[in-house]
Amino acid sequence: MSRVVALAGRPNTGKTTLFNALTGLRQRTANFAGCTVEKAIGIALTEGAGVEIVDLPGTFSMLPQTEDEIVAFRFLSECVEAGADLLVLCVAEASNLENDLVLAAGLKAAGYPTALVVNMIDEARLNAITVDASELSAKLGMPVVLTSARTGEGIKKICSLLKPQAPHADLSRALDFQRAPQKRLHELQDSAVESARRAVLTAVTLPRKLVLATVSRSIRVDRLLMHPVAGPLILAATMFLLFQALFVGARPIMDFLSGLLSWAAESARAHMPEGAAASLLCDGAFPGISAVIVFVPQIAILFTMIGFLEQSGYLPRAGAMVDRALRPFGLDGRVFIPFLSGFACAIPGVMAARTLPSEKRRIVTILLTPLMTCSARVPVYTLLITAFVPATFRPLGFDGQGVVMAAMYVLGIVIALLLALALKYTALNEAHPLPATILPPYRIPSARELAHYVWARCWHFLSRAGQIIFLLSLALWALSSFPRDSARLGPLEAELAAAQAATPPDATLQLDLRARLASTRIEGSLLGRAGRAIEPVFRPLGWDWRVSVASLSALAAREVFVGTLGTIYALGGETAASEGLVKALREARNPDGTRRYSLATAVSLLVFFAIALQCVSTIVTVRRETGGWKWPGLQFSFLFGLAYIFSFTAYRLALAFGG
Amino acid sequence: MTLDAVAFNVTVRIRGFSGLGELDKTRLTGLGLRPGVSLTKILRTPLGDPIECLVGAQLLALEARLLPLIRVEIP
Repeated sequence: MSRVVALAGRPNTGKTTLFNALTGLRQRTANFAGCTVEKAIGIALTEGAGVEIVDLPGTFSMLPQTEDEIVAFRFLSECVEAGADLLVLCVAEASNLENDLVLAAGLKAAGYPTALVVNMIDEARLNAITVDASELSAKLGMPVVLTSARTGEGIKKICSLLKPQAPHADLSRALDFQRAPQKRLHELQDSAVESARRAVLTAVTLPRKLVLATVSRSIRVDRLLMHPVAGPLILAATMFLLFQALFVGARPIMDFLSGLLSWAAESARAHMPEGAAASLLCDGAFPGISAVIVFVPQIAILFTMIGFLEQSGYLPRAGAMVDRALRPFGLDGRVFIPFLSGFACAIPGVMAARTLPSEKRRIVTILLTPLMTCSARVPVYTLLITAFVPATFRPLGFDGQGVVMAAMYVLGIVIALLLALALKYTALNEAHPLPATILPPYRIPSARELAHYVWARCWHFLSRAGQIIFLLSLALWALSSFPRDSARLGPLEAELAAAQAATPPDATLQLDLRARLASTRIEGSLLGRAGRAIEPVFRPLGWDWRVSVASLSALAAREVFVGTLGTIYALGGETAASEGLVKALREARNPDGTRRYSLATAVSLLVFFAIALQCVSTIVTVRRETGGWKWPGLQFSFLFGLAYIFSFTAYRLALAFGG
Repeated sequence: MTLDAVAFNVTVRIRGFSGLGELDKTRLTGLGLRPGVSLTKILRTPLGDPIECLVGAQLLALEARLLPLIRVEIP
């Protein structure tokens, strides 16, 4: 077995920065047998093949309690079982050694081959702390390297530690954390605390000043950022900026990308003979790719901002500030980050819930995060609002359509909080977990680290959710293309062929024929039939089969709703709330001449999309994070039922008030 | 005395915990709240709770309900 180097340490010691410095971008994420949480794995840059580096989640003590910690210790146990050539590289923050050395001392005492990296040594120098590496090494009985992963200082020395050892490290006496009795772990923890204290006493010289420079600077910043009045205002302004950047900044890039892809699809279509192959490429594959990559700008912008806030040290403070407000709902400040991420996409939000220290609270967070208005709902809301909220609606002089959009965001939050309140009375209730959080010193985020962070998130999305979304788009294309109703399609196709052969070719006629072909195709397809079959189910909500089909197809990704309606209304696969589709929806009539959709229909759809878990990618992610189908199954059916009831009520109310 | 009775900006030393389970104690120890470590209450967050404290060389946000459970002494 190859050499395995595990990076372990308390959160915020710079493990991931070190991991990136050691592996470059040559990393991948992988699932280990039996565990639901991923760890990053990379190959060391310098030593070439044979040295695998694993970035373990942060651990606070020798007694694993959170999901993250359990994963870290389980990995160590697995290495012992597999007889790996293991080295645990414990990463410690140079300015906080008394706390950070505990894990290194404990793992050494537990029989693991251990080395210590004293990271952020540059910051320690600013704090006038000196660390005697050889003394520390003698006291702890392990190699010690002083580094700054950010500047690259000391990285070369770490590389020499990584080389495969001959003979292999002896793990025969290493403690199996999964099987060890609690008492043994408590003893281990206590003795590790004592050895860490003794090591610091002799090997570390602290400045005479009582408070470290970085800490006193952070206290000064906190007096402003957590000021009773300025604090909440700054927090609100930060959130506002985040949303502005998300929507104003990402929109042009998204429009450009989807425009580019539909242009590519159209030019491919022009060069291919009409038929299933052209349709697969232009109506299946290109829109599929488009459905994936349009999310990337938003994910990149969101994680640039979240990464910035996280690295600067502000995020835990934001959590601490909102903590008390969330407590009555059975939540705490730590759900802030998952919920906030949920506004871009539920997937990173659900993944961010891993850091929650209690399993029950983590499940509650995962269950509620998809209620935050994710970016995929925005095109659906935009279409419905533009089409059905009259431009003359100006409450208090504000733009009515904007007000409704804002109300949709509020609706998601309110329902999530109400459900959290309801969950307090279930088995998922838990007394407020761990009543203490670390507030790391403020740091200026480094651009390189931020780029790594954003890249990793985007790549994760593209490689995981992206594949599923793409495959589902293809499946959806197949469902909406087959079986072919030749009796109705034949004449249209013949007409199109004639139009193409005509000189000069009539472009408008061709476009019109193509659109009619697409709409006829979907009507006779499996999806169209399914839509009609489920129409009675959604009729009470004011939906006809077209809207039902579009909602079904939105399971692939919510914004597909818009594209499907576009196809049904013979407008070609439109992906945005364009004028054509808005007009078509407004003017659609029933055979008896009445309007097919009213404001009430729009209200019912809006409410349904706000609540229902209309997203296969999220369901897949929840399954991965909870290790089974139980929670995603419950979540989907419960939210569907709730959405149905609420949207029925909203529809009836809107009708009663003359919608 | 317990931490809730201590004024802000007064440095005290942690003596121990009362009324905390073994697991919670270990967890707090992991965070750096250990007997013998110095502690100073710095500020209240805008909603009054949690409270930012300097514990040893690091800043922690401690919930108000934890304060009466931490025994401290003025060194």
